[in-house]
Amino acid sequence: MRSQWIILFKKEFRESIRNFKWLWIPTVFVLLGLMQPITSYYIADILEQFGGLPEGTVMELPPPSGAEVLTGTLGQFSQIGFLVLVLAFMGTVVTEKNQGTLIMVLVKPVSYVNYLTAKWVHLLILSLTSFVLGFVMSVYYTFLLIDTIPISQVVNGALVYALWITFVMTIVLCLSALLNSTAFVAFATLGTAILFSIFSLYAPDLMKGTPGMLATYSQQFFYLGEVESGFWISIFVTLGLILAMMIATIFLFNKKEFAKDVQ
Amino acid sequence: MNEIIESFQEVNWPLIAPILILSLVLMIVALIDCIKHDKTNGPQWIWILVIVFVNFFGPILYFLFGRRND
Repeated sequence: MRSQWIILFKKEFRESIRNFKWLWIPTVFVLLGLMQPITSYYIADILEQFGGLPEGTVMELPPPSGAEVLTGTLGQFSQIGFLVLVLAFMGTVVTEKNQGTLIMVLVKPVSYVNYLTAKWVHLLILSLTSFVLGFVMSVYYTFLLIDTIPISQVVNGALVYALWITFVMTIVLCLSALLNSTAFVAFATLGTAILFSIFSLYAPDLMKGTPGMLATYSQQFFYLGEVESGFWISIFVTLGLILAMMIATIFLFNKKEFAKDVQ
Repeated sequence: MNEIIESFQEVNWPLIAPILILSLVLMIVALIDCIKHDKTNGPQWIWILVIVFVNFFGPILYFLFGRRND
């Protein structure tokens, strides 16, 4: 049973090495992580040179704080990073379903649990590795160029954000297993993530204790080093939701008829 | 124009180098992959132009939408 899981996991791993996902997704995250502190550092020069300001304008930009730059980095990850991750993995089950390879796999005595969890673990390892690499670069450059903040705050904030990534990636996998169109998987996942962030921005009281607040909590770690009440509820609710989504997907996936999906 | 050239000389190149190198790596890998595959989604020469000329996003777009998985 365990060896089957390892085989499926290795298959995932090999596949994403062959189509360069292990190369380009971490590279994109590192680039995003590098750009934020460097543009913050040069922002005054950039505006002066290319901003088209009238001659003699005196710019008084307050230098950004380290927490601001790290928050900005997470903002980049939430936008471009999530877009890239979701688009790269929206087809992880759907395309196998539509091409008919899924049937070839499941004809053999492969358990759905192994099939889905192998994909899930691989997806998480790839996305979290990319996030950690990108964020470490961002922290390094921020400390070098801008400002240092206590490393424990950085680590805590990053861990909370990693849970938020885990949550979103779990949605991608579950929807990919249950729906039949890649576009709809991407649309629904990004829509959910955006709704969570918008609501937690404008109605934080309403969203207390939901996954949507995780990004806010990681910012609070950067700025203050401590979080408001409701933090642990959020963490446990998110962990519970991830577990519930995985169990529900495995259960529903089991019930689905695949034969009719393939012409 | 002279101002721009001066500002390029003021740029702290060791700082910028990692960004340039990684962008270049991304571009070269996308380019090799694109040329090696006979079929892409859409005309191959357009993808090559996109990869080379659209900075940063070109290779990403190719990897996301240009590759065929079969």
